[in-house]
Amino acid sequence: MSNLFEHNGAKGQGYSQPAPVLPESSISLPASLTRKALPRWPRLSEPEMVRHYTWLSKRNFGIDTGFYPLGSCTMKHNPRVNEVIAQIPGIADIHPHQPEHHIQGLLAIFHEMQYMLEVCSGMDQVTLQPVAGAQGEFTAVRCVQEYFRQRGETQRTKVIVPDSAHGTNPASAAMCGFEIVEIPSRTDGRIDLDALRAVADETTAVMMITNPNTLGLFEPDIVEASAIIHGVGGQMYYDGANFNAILGITSPGLMGFDAVHFNLHKTFSQPHGGGGPGSGPIGVRSHLAEFLPGPLVKKRPPIGNESQMVIDDMWYGWYQPTHSIGKVQQWHGNAGAIIRCWAYYRRYGSGLRTMSEHAVLNANYLRHAIHKATKAAGVDSMVRDGAEAKVTKHEFTLSLAPAKEMYGISAMDVAKGLLDMGYMAPTVYFPLVVPECMMIEPTETESKETLDEFATHFAEVLQIDAETLHAAPTTTPVRRVDEVYAARNLCLRHPYDDE
Amino acid sequence: MLSAMGMSSIEELFADIPAEVRMTGALPLPPPQSEEEILADARRLLGSNVALGERVSFLGAGLYRNYVPASVFQLVNRGEFLTAYTPYQPEVSQGMLQAMWEFQTLISELVGLPVANLSLYDGSTAAAEALTCCVRVHNRKATQKDTVYVSELTPPDRLSVMYNYCQGADITIKLLRHHSDGTLDLDAVSEAVGSCGVYVEQPNPLGILDGGLSQLKAILGKTTALIVAVQPVSLGLVEAPGHYGADIVVGEGQPLGSPITGGGPIYGIFACSKDYLRLMPGRIVGRSIDVDGKVAYCLTLSTREQHIRRHRATSNICTNETLIALMGAMHMALLGPEGLHALAVRNMTACILAKQKLSQVENINLPHSNSHHFNEFVIELPGSSKDCLAHLDAVGIVGGFDLSAWYPERKNWILATFTDQNNANQIELLVSHLALWASSQGVNA
Repeated sequence: MSNLFEHNGAKGQGYSQPAPVLPESSISLPASLTRKALPRWPRLSEPEMVRHYTWLSKRNFGIDTGFYPLGSCTMKHNPRVNEVIAQIPGIADIHPHQPEHHIQGLLAIFHEMQYMLEVCSGMDQVTLQPVAGAQGEFTAVRCVQEYFRQRGETQRTKVIVPDSAHGTNPASAAMCGFEIVEIPSRTDGRIDLDALRAVADETTAVMMITNPNTLGLFEPDIVEASAIIHGVGGQMYYDGANFNAILGITSPGLMGFDAVHFNLHKTFSQPHGGGGPGSGPIGVRSHLAEFLPGPLVKKRPPIGNESQMVIDDMWYGWYQPTHSIGKVQQWHGNAGAIIRCWAYYRRYGSGLRTMSEHAVLNANYLRHAIHKATKAAGVDSMVRDGAEAKVTKHEFTLSLAPAKEMYGISAMDVAKGLLDMGYMAPTVYFPLVVPECMMIEPTETESKETLDEFATHFAEVLQIDAETLHAAPTTTPVRRVDEVYAARNLCLRHPYDDE
Repeated sequence: MLSAMGMSSIEELFADIPAEVRMTGALPLPPPQSEEEILADARRLLGSNVALGERVSFLGAGLYRNYVPASVFQLVNRGEFLTAYTPYQPEVSQGMLQAMWEFQTLISELVGLPVANLSLYDGSTAAAEALTCCVRVHNRKATQKDTVYVSELTPPDRLSVMYNYCQGADITIKLLRHHSDGTLDLDAVSEAVGSCGVYVEQPNPLGILDGGLSQLKAILGKTTALIVAVQPVSLGLVEAPGHYGADIVVGEGQPLGSPITGGGPIYGIFACSKDYLRLMPGRIVGRSIDVDGKVAYCLTLSTREQHIRRHRATSNICTNETLIALMGAMHMALLGPEGLHALAVRNMTACILAKQKLSQVENINLPHSNSHHFNEFVIELPGSSKDCLAHLDAVGIVGGFDLSAWYPERKNWILATFTDQNNANQIELLVSHLALWASSQGVNA
């Protein structure tokens, strides 16, 4: 156990700082402004600090540690060259208020990313400002809200979401002030068109949906759903969480969507960093473009002495949309994440379709391999597909409901068993429409050997007796953590001795 | 792999996508590149930018180029941190969970409040979420329902984020007046009594430290939240808002641990008193035990969050800025209390030196010269700030922020920032070039 707050070494010596330009006595703050007691922070030397965080890192599991089949999260490999690029001073040491002629290279990359996302999504204009998927949702719904306000359609107070949607969808729409209408999904997670028709009317502002859906299945009725919503004058919103399945194959534009968000940290490999940062650009059709948060990047031929400062014969500049909703982040979004994702996209370029093909191939192959392995081990009766489907897209669901009924082994037990096998557990208990759900997404960056091995180990976990599995994991830094205890005995900061 | 599944082409995997929505033809994008080609392109494009470290820079206005120790970059790139997802499986995520629990403690101590979450997107979204949070907490007893008061000096880009976050909850934002010396008009604050919350910044966006803010809580009383946004490094010298009655403290965490990176990824600080805990936004780590009774950490109070509460969640936030907050924690751990103090002293003395020198320059006016500043202040020029900054740019100096971008009527104001990255020679250089330019402008402003 390494405890940060036990370190109390020499004062101010963690790392050396140059002397101030004037003695401290030149500061004369009145008592009302002066801090009386410094924060009770620990005092570490650099080697102590390095050891502490190295120790912590060894108690954490990342994609680098092992296979990370966390459904809905698209945990693909994070190429290290992207980290090298993000530390180039031309991005790391750039201030968003610098004049355009200081940042032509950055703006060129921004413009290229706007364009790339536009052509991949079939949208007319992209903004890179939202910094996470949920913020992208919020931003797009805000744009639609202002669009309707400008048209005088203030009776549109409702946003429709399927009950299988990510929780951020209803949360984002509610933050904009919309009333949420949840419609039931069919048992395979697909849209129930009759349920949709029953609620769609002149009060509908937006329908939010992801496709492939949260079960990893493509919605064959998506065009019809779009027609129903557009028929009542509403707008279609595409949750891009599952965009990794369809790049270059189909697009939200072709499916009839008006607005889209992208989770760049999923599809384009911004490292997830244990919970962020992400990047959540949105794309919209032209009728919504002037409502986007500004500024956007536009290019034009250089004028006058600009031509001496261009990098590729074009001048890149900021553009403020005419009816902009304003800002959703104070600066220009997560520029550093956008640079990394630009590097990832460049690896595929016009061949981005290959990325999605391999992601879908890996998912289907793993599904097949798991069924084959469980059959060979004689445990296939414990697990079934979350939904009947010949093929899935980039992820798939399994139901451990039979295991639960037969032996009392839950999806969580299997998840913890997989931790003992050296894997990150798949997503469990989401989507809710699948009982004892396990949602598995291998991504395109895993090899056949990894998938085969995981399938074998998955079958091995199912052969473990219930009692042992209830006690799993046993090989991890700690065993099952008591979340109820945490909530009932709130300890949200280090308890100092006098507290 | 296909044949193992009894398939003969990859196309079969996409048979469920109707022809009418199929993309035809290749994406109109450049061909794939190798790692070396991408790196070369990145160096060409990003290398053409003017990195502030290549110049003498006095640009801050909300983002500050403090030195971040080398060990922070080395450690944060450990793959176990870098490539992990949100710690939903606590047994294999103890490292990040403990690091974030420590972060919560470090922030809590820094701002003087008992609770901190593990980051929001940036200072602006932290400020905006603080406003919606205080309405959730206080609206029932408020006499000015659904109303918050915000300092009129709040940077317009931040205010814009606030409007976006507040409009959905039908929250009215009213602005608080300031005196001409840049301090808050405390008489005007009495108008805010009975509202849900008051938002101010310390130092304020003109760099001014306002001693009057310590009286706000007494004016507002218990049922109106006092929200104070801070520059975290200033708290090595300046009183922590939690110690003068702030209920919520927010801020741009960036100066601790993170480069400015074009404005993101950075991290927003959010801390509060216990009264706000169950209605606050963002993730929180709690210390718990495992089945063997061993100390273990996990996410807690998740029932506030979108993945459980859906449209009744306190915020839609899911992905946050954990990794950047981790950089902040590492920087704070290395600084220690005295290191933070020293860093604050370096910032503030650089500012004092610049103020002393500039106050002696003819044709230049410091409109708030009688106020205390942390690390930036307003310079009133004898001509257009645009012309002045262009002049400085031509000699390799990024002279500051053109305040006409915030206040269009202030065509002659720049906000110049002095951090630990500005030594005496740099300050001298700025002063001499400003003096030269000012003298060329003829008549006094």
